[in-house]
Amino acid sequence: MADDPVIRLPLNPDEEVSSDAGKSFEKLRHLILAPEQEDLARLRERVESPDQRANDLSAVLPEAIRLRHRQGGGDALSEALAPSVESALRESVRKDPGTLADALFPVMGPAIRRSILQTLRQLFESFNTAMEQSLSLRGLQWRFEALRTGRSFSEVVLLHSLVFRTEQVFLIHKKTGLPLCHVVAPSVAMEDPSLVSGMLSAIQDFVRDSFHSPQGQGIEKLQIGELEVWIEDGPQAVIAAVIRGMAPPAYRTELVETVERVHRRFAEQLERFQGETSPFSAAAEDLTSCLNSQFREKRSLRPKPYVFVFAGILLALLAGWLTFVGWRNHRWRTYVETLGRQPGMVVTSFGRQGGHFIISGLRDPLSSDPLALLQSVGLDPRQVQFHWGAYYALDDPILQQRAVNLLRPPPGVNITVADGMLSTQGVAPDDWFTTLSARASTIPGIRAVDVSRLIGANQAEFHRLESLIQSTVLTFPVGSAELSSAQSDSLKLLSPEIGAFLAKAQVLHKNAIIDIVGHSDSTGAESTNRLLSQERADSVARQLAREGLPRGSVRPVGVASAQPLREETDEQARQSNRSVTFSVSATAPPKS
Amino acid sequence: MLQKKICMLGSFAVGKTSLVRRYVESIYSDVYHTTVGVKIDKKTVQHGQQEVTLVLWDLYGEDEFQKMRWSYVKGASGYLLVADGTRRLTVEKAMQLEEGVRQAVGSLPFIFVLNKADLSPAWEIDAKVEDELTVKGWNVMRASAKTGENVEAAFQKLTAKMLGE
Repeated sequence: MADDPVIRLPLNPDEEVSSDAGKSFEKLRHLILAPEQEDLARLRERVESPDQRANDLSAVLPEAIRLRHRQGGGDALSEALAPSVESALRESVRKDPGTLADALFPVMGPAIRRSILQTLRQLFESFNTAMEQSLSLRGLQWRFEALRTGRSFSEVVLLHSLVFRTEQVFLIHKKTGLPLCHVVAPSVAMEDPSLVSGMLSAIQDFVRDSFHSPQGQGIEKLQIGELEVWIEDGPQAVIAAVIRGMAPPAYRTELVETVERVHRRFAEQLERFQGETSPFSAAAEDLTSCLNSQFREKRSLRPKPYVFVFAGILLALLAGWLTFVGWRNHRWRTYVETLGRQPGMVVTSFGRQGGHFIISGLRDPLSSDPLALLQSVGLDPRQVQFHWGAYYALDDPILQQRAVNLLRPPPGVNITVADGMLSTQGVAPDDWFTTLSARASTIPGIRAVDVSRLIGANQAEFHRLESLIQSTVLTFPVGSAELSSAQSDSLKLLSPEIGAFLAKAQVLHKNAIIDIVGHSDSTGAESTNRLLSQERADSVARQLAREGLPRGSVRPVGVASAQPLREETDEQARQSNRSVTFSVSATAPPKS
Repeated sequence: MLQKKICMLGSFAVGKTSLVRRYVESIYSDVYHTTVGVKIDKKTVQHGQQEVTLVLWDLYGEDEFQKMRWSYVKGASGYLLVADGTRRLTVEKAMQLEEGVRQAVGSLPFIFVLNKADLSPAWEIDAKVEDELTVKGWNVMRASAKTGENVEAAFQKLTAKMLGE
């Protein structure tokens, strides 16, 4: 191959060429091809390097997008970009919500502020309405209703404030002031919508110009007597509602929503509006919703539940009152019956007059106190007036009270009256006792006096002494008639009692004699015993005589064992029988 | 229904209101002029087969007491520019107003109405002025509120212009 006339050129400039000719070619090749090869290498690098491609694209991308828009392919571009933009937004929020929030802040801030302002304004308007209503008569009625139904007062006020009627609603093109749509409630007189819309727009412009309102805000509400025009602004169109009466602040929200809805539905038509209003006739249904839903709810002719509740309460109150009156009257009647049963009291009439109970009748001064009786059963003395006539009652308790008052029985004497018969019992001084019957018979109503269980003081003493004397026993030793010193002492004590007895007998005009009875036991001969017993009686009689008793007032007798004090079953019984006892006899003197 | 907002412009006392009084429906009194600065009337025009409702914003003629409220012109589809043929000054004022409209809302179709045609002998304006304006591209019409001359025609012409003919 050494004679090969063709000299092969290395494709690669770095490849070694050994021959001289090769070197010359190499130079030539370099001279001819080097610039192109460098360009080629650079281009290849641009095509193959992602960094370089990105760099190139970034230079033309904005212009490319603008161009695409101008060519009318914006929609396709938006469509293509939308998913990426959406996911980019999501990713941004996921990474750091602050970034997007900061970016949106200038947009969101005013929107949120406006929304809050609107809400607060509605709140204040509600509050103001509630305040105004709270002071009127109607307000008081509503306050009562709030109490009755358990609703809050402001809720009730708002409920009643829904008394209004939206008579007309205009949809007005904001820029031209032309009416896009207009609805009117039945039987409402109306002016030409074109003129009204135009004038409303003119007034809005006038106000904006005159007061340099910020951000193009205009009038929100016009008030003409009972009529109000509420205006709600949208970017392209305005809604004006002509309202008769007082619409609640919440109605504003409905207008706002309608404006928003109209803008959504007719965005394109509004944008391109050139005076042709027919596309907007479809908005009538939106406007009508503002018109129809706001009629006042008609009052039902059926009585409301509270009427029944009220009537029920009234009936319950009436029943309660009647029960109370019945119960009260019953207590008073019972009281009057009790009064009638009282001794010394006669009720002739009972009634009610001028808020008082009137009780009339007859009353013995000695009868019980009707007021005290009243208080004891718990009735109010202020509710009663008594009209009593005085009389002499012949009831036994009254008679008894009267007898006690008049006769003044001494202590120990008891007086009772039954069926007009006055009975006494006890021991009374003789002078009181002796005049009792005469005095008692003068008391009206006393038919008879029984003194069988009352004795005089002398008589009582007479009986006491009699039994004292008769209970005295003096005993003697076997076969003896002599008084021991102890027996003598006993006789000394007995002797004055006997004297007193004899004296009482004299006072009582009685002949009294005391038998001194001598006894013996049954042992021994009866004749001896008789002598012994006589001796014992005599011994006592002598002793009493020594004590000063008149001899004629005592009579000593000996009865031997004929009247034993005890049956002689043992020595102790026999001892009892060896004694002297006393027996008293008193007789009334023979009547002369 | 096709509706168009149009304005009536012209200096004080050129007879704007008189010009249209007999030809429009109105519910508002002239008091609105001096209070709000505008009065709204309505005029229905038959344009071919189509009925067009013109809502007419009759603006208060600017004077030393009250300024023109340019915001009222916003949204208008065209206007009648009115001057008094007997007062040359009103024509100059009309030219200023035309300039004002252009600055405020851009170019709008309009008809220049020279009122008081019935008083032609007393006019301060001659045909030369009218020609100049016509050359400028203005549609100039002589009209008379008193006789009603050209009033209806002015509305018709404006409507035609607004609808692009």
